[in-house]
Amino acid sequence: MPLYIAKRLAIGVGTIWAAFTLTFLLVHSTDNSPGAVRLGMGATPEEVEVENERLGWNRPLLTQYADDLGKMVRFDFGQSLINRGDVRDQLSDRLPVTASISVLATLLAGIVGTALGVVAAVRGRGTAKAVNAFSGFSLSIPSFWLGVVLVYFFAIRLDLLPATGYSRFSEGVGSWLQSLALPVITLAIGGAAVVARMAASGMREALAREYITTLRAIGTPEWRIRYIHALRAASLPVVGALGVQFIVLFGGSVIIENLFALPGIGQAALFGATGNDFPILIGVVVMSTAVVVITNLVLDLLTAVLDPKLRTR
Amino acid sequence: MTTTVQSNPPAIEVRDLVVRYGGGRRAMKTPPAVDGVCFDIAPGETLGLVGESGSGKSTIGKALLGLQPPTEGTIWLHGKDVTTASLKERRTLASELRVVFQDPYSSLNPARRIGQTLAESLRLIGIKGDAARARAITTLESVGLPSDSIDRFPSQFSGGQRQRIAIARALVRDPNVLVLDEPVSALDLSTQAQVLNLLADLRDEHKLAYLFIAHDLGVVRFLAHRVVVLYRGQVMESGPVEDVTSRPRHPYSVALTAAAPVPRPAEQIDRRAHREALSVGSASTAPPDPKGCPFASRCPLADGQCHAERPMLRLIGGQRVACHHAEQVGVTWPPPPN
Amino acid sequence: MSSIRQAKHQRIPAFLRSWGGVFGAGWLIIMFLASITARWWRPYDVAEQDLIARLQGPSSEYWLGTDAVGRDLFSRVFTAGALPLQASAVMVLVAFGIGLPLILIAAERGGRVEEAIGRFAETIMSLPSTVILLAAIGAIGNRIYPVMMIFGLLVSAALYRILIGVAKSSRQHLYIDAARVDGMGSIRVNLAHVLPSMARPIAVQAAIVYAIGLLIINGLAFLGFGPGEPQPSWGFMIKDASDNIFNSPWMMVPPGVALSLTVMAANALADALAGPLGIPEYTPPKRRRTISASPAQQSEGTDNLALSVRDLSVVVEGGPTLVSGISFDLRQGEVMGLVGESGCGKTMTARSLLGLLPAGVEVSSGSIIWQGRQIAGLPERDTIKIRGREIAMISQEPMVALDPLFSVKSQLTRPLRRFRGVGRREARRIALELLRQVGIVDAERVLRCYPHQLSGGMAQRVAIALALTGSPKLLIADEPTTALDVTVQAEILSLLRALVAETGMSVLLVSHDLGVVADICDRIAVMYSGQVVEAGTVAEVLEDPYHPYTMALLGANPHVADDAPEPERLAAISGSVPPPGNWPEGCRFADRCQFAASECSVAFEPEPAHVDGMSLCIRTGELRRTGAQWAPEHRGAELAVESEAP
Repeated sequence: MPLYIAKRLAIGVGTIWAAFTLTFLLVHSTDNSPGAVRLGMGATPEEVEVENERLGWNRPLLTQYADDLGKMVRFDFGQSLINRGDVRDQLSDRLPVTASISVLATLLAGIVGTALGVVAAVRGRGTAKAVNAFSGFSLSIPSFWLGVVLVYFFAIRLDLLPATGYSRFSEGVGSWLQSLALPVITLAIGGAAVVARMAASGMREALAREYITTLRAIGTPEWRIRYIHALRAASLPVVGALGVQFIVLFGGSVIIENLFALPGIGQAALFGATGNDFPILIGVVVMSTAVVVITNLVLDLLTAVLDPKLRTR
Repeated sequence: MTTTVQSNPPAIEVRDLVVRYGGGRRAMKTPPAVDGVCFDIAPGETLGLVGESGSGKSTIGKALLGLQPPTEGTIWLHGKDVTTASLKERRTLASELRVVFQDPYSSLNPARRIGQTLAESLRLIGIKGDAARARAITTLESVGLPSDSIDRFPSQFSGGQRQRIAIARALVRDPNVLVLDEPVSALDLSTQAQVLNLLADLRDEHKLAYLFIAHDLGVVRFLAHRVVVLYRGQVMESGPVEDVTSRPRHPYSVALTAAAPVPRPAEQIDRRAHREALSVGSASTAPPDPKGCPFASRCPLADGQCHAERPMLRLIGGQRVACHHAEQVGVTWPPPPN
Repeated sequence: MSSIRQAKHQRIPAFLRSWGGVFGAGWLIIMFLASITARWWRPYDVAEQDLIARLQGPSSEYWLGTDAVGRDLFSRVFTAGALPLQASAVMVLVAFGIGLPLILIAAERGGRVEEAIGRFAETIMSLPSTVILLAAIGAIGNRIYPVMMIFGLLVSAALYRILIGVAKSSRQHLYIDAARVDGMGSIRVNLAHVLPSMARPIAVQAAIVYAIGLLIINGLAFLGFGPGEPQPSWGFMIKDASDNIFNSPWMMVPPGVALSLTVMAANALADALAGPLGIPEYTPPKRRRTISASPAQQSEGTDNLALSVRDLSVVVEGGPTLVSGISFDLRQGEVMGLVGESGCGKTMTARSLLGLLPAGVEVSSGSIIWQGRQIAGLPERDTIKIRGREIAMISQEPMVALDPLFSVKSQLTRPLRRFRGVGRREARRIALELLRQVGIVDAERVLRCYPHQLSGGMAQRVAIALALTGSPKLLIADEPTTALDVTVQAEILSLLRALVAETGMSVLLVSHDLGVVADICDRIAVMYSGQVVEAGTVAEVLEDPYHPYTMALLGANPHVADDAPEPERLAAISGSVPPPGNWPEGCRFADRCQFAASECSVAFEPEPAHVDGMSLCIRTGELRRTGAQWAPEHRGAELAVESEAP
């Protein structure tokens, strides 16, 4: 088991390195230069050249790569080309926003999805069809449109929740939750659909297994068969789906943060992309990859806890 | 290359065959699936390969067919070394050496008509069109299927009929050696008998040599002339089928023959008493010590030598036996049932 | 009647026979055609502004209203489909173009090659795709096709993860091996056999990925990375709508509905392509229909009769009969074998005793008298009290009979506490005792094991121990040794025999193996096509069979006595077992019987046979007199009869 964890960690580090390298290469393959970005439209080519020299852009590629890689290990991505702030500080300010949205959305998707899936598996055909139709529907509705629709009804028509903006946790839990409610619901609906399908098929598959017959043959009560044995079996694919959902939601927050004007990582990525802010771009990629890697690791450990075949290996 | 061609080389000759699955250090630590197996099959002869799950019997079949590359050892087909034959060589080899698998549901592509399946095999040796069709029909008729089977899909046939089609697929290239990998164990008893009879008929008609892989001693005894008993990848005993099944010399063969129940209650009562008196140990999942006899941990006759030294195959009576105590078997052991 | 089934003609592909499939394929095609031809039929140009008619709702002039600069939403919405529909298709092609070769190579080579490719795919999959795409846009600019190709690369890794299992199991088909033995090359094997067998999952994934592509393209457009003004895109139109949500909420409807319907179409197509899941629907055990059962008979007079089955019929609801009117008795402490080939109804008979028939199968008539009580048709809440406590069951595959996620200890102690009302500690003690009773020496270790850590024989012993937790009086053993090696089978048979002697329970053994029955059973009932055709003591029936089917089964068995000569040919039975619903009138075996005569085609009563047994053959007496023997048949036997039959 420790060997297994070490192996997964090594793969994770490799993945972060790959993400860094890929972005580094992308950034260096463009016609744009950091000097031009930093100085803006009005600068002359000479001024840009001087600025590039100052930023070390004209050094040999390998030197720059080694230098940036060394800094990256210390989570140092340099300064933003646009607002001149330290990238690490900016990102660590933004991380809690994105993390709150995606953690809450994952939790909501997990609870709602599992409940729907279990109901679909256990109740007869009609319920299963209804749940399946709901999830097919939810999977097809783009989150950015759903968000607009929800804003229209809940913020504009009913005036229940704020349409945009973010309120910090330290400013009060109530307003924090209110500011997150719409983005979280918007994100969670698609996730719940995925989880519901996983839970339903996992339960149904488990209930068709031979060992269920064994359990019945010794008079095991039906609730035990459903909610202890089958649900436990279905928990493996559900946990897997939740992990993937967290990753998807974390990435998908770009759109949601844009829609709801939330100061998260996704917004930074968007600014970086529109403004060619290379340090921000590299920082966001490395940080997001790290989140994915950590999520996968947690997921592996959780699966190992749930599955004795992995645990006893 | 031998300059003098023997007048009658064996159809199949296998020497010191070792097959390991996987590569790398971990694979070297686990015992090989097949461990130093030797046997010959004469033209027109049927050799039974018997063993329980994990004995390596199917792996030997795969190695012969080129589906699993051997780690060590040599395989000759009619005196020609085919151990590491390339794909192109296999294509011609495939006319001489054919296979019938266990599961008649998985061995035919459900999306293709029977005729397509047979023609696909013929096209590889340049027989196409009407010639291929005519040959396919003749072959189907020779296994007892109507000629209109050729335009049907596998799903339209029963298990026994599918196994006939699989046999036709093997025969369509007019081979002289057939690997039969548990060809009847997926079939019901009445169908099993039909297919066994068909295999016996075809052998007599076409002078086919069979490598007959099975776990059921009864069917092996019906079809095979000689038999090789495998345990954990090693040959325990080999010889004429009558001798090995009626007078086994290896403690494992004794246990195997005693364990097979017969449908005659009076006789089975005696057999059961005999079997329970053997006191052969239960199989464990732990791999055996590579130094000693693989059966030693279960064997009531085992002593220090058995754990320390792997017994070689020795000729005793009509059969070859890999046991240090083979002389005792059938004389002082097993004890008479009380 | 031909024994070769007729093929079903399927002109319309399966996925187009569902509403979802028709909608999915239809909508995508219509939307695509509409968008590429829009320039010739749309009422307004996409850039045409009507500043007087800004932010309007639907009207006869502007069917779907106008946007903030007075452009016609109808024209824009139907033009906007072309780019995402095409760019997503390119993305799908790139994803499969990279993914499929890798999948096929990994599945064929296995081992290290597969490990290396798998590792590569895993790394790619761990990249946060949205952020990578933004980074790509930041670096190479807002170019949709190249960006979607990069996305295709990312998706190929996910495809690998999803489809590698399909490819590997597809290579497990023996026809792949057969083609390789033929001398077929690797590429040809992949193209001719592996890929076609993966067609359905590939099509499903393609549709799903296509839907994701549509969402991503429009999501990027929403963020401002679309085709650029004035070219319309659904994503950017939604963004536009959200900016004008206070003035004209209607604006969000046309692009949102168009995009949602298009994505829904791709997803519906995927669902239709996937077809039914193949997982049986779970039907909760319900109250069984009360059948016209005869009242419980007095058990006096029938000496120590444990179980008495009378005229029991089992049917598929609205379908064929599986078991038709069988009767048999089982005494306390007796072992009875229910023998027959597959499809003769022996397992259904056994399961009906426990009320554990599969969904849609039910006892339609007859009685099951257990310890003097009628238990056929009892409601679930009453049968559940019998299960385990009075009648228990072990099944064929010990490795799948135990829940893989629970330890042996938890699986044994839970029912022990329920059945015997004991505490945790006492339950553990009894569990150990039970494990020792079923011949497990290191019971302490096995108690801590999970099912996957047990060998087949060991798992079957644990399953038997589990069946013993409620101290049942009848054990139903459904092919308990079929999946085991012959030496392990012998051990299990000896164990069952010892348990019967120790506990005095009865056993109903279901088996196809006459040898196993000869080894352990006292009595035997031979089944054929849902009927018992011969019954009696094992010694009588197997040594001197009355019924031609029993004779034939014995003749087909290659296990001859030691030193007896092996027969030249076995006594095969021509034809095959007719499937339920296809049983002939009169004697169901007559079609295949060597002794069939005209009187066999009418209904008849069973003849008494042996000491207290029966034989369901109208010619029993005659065959006994003439001493008829079942003769070996020759090749073609399976079809010979069909060609003669009318």
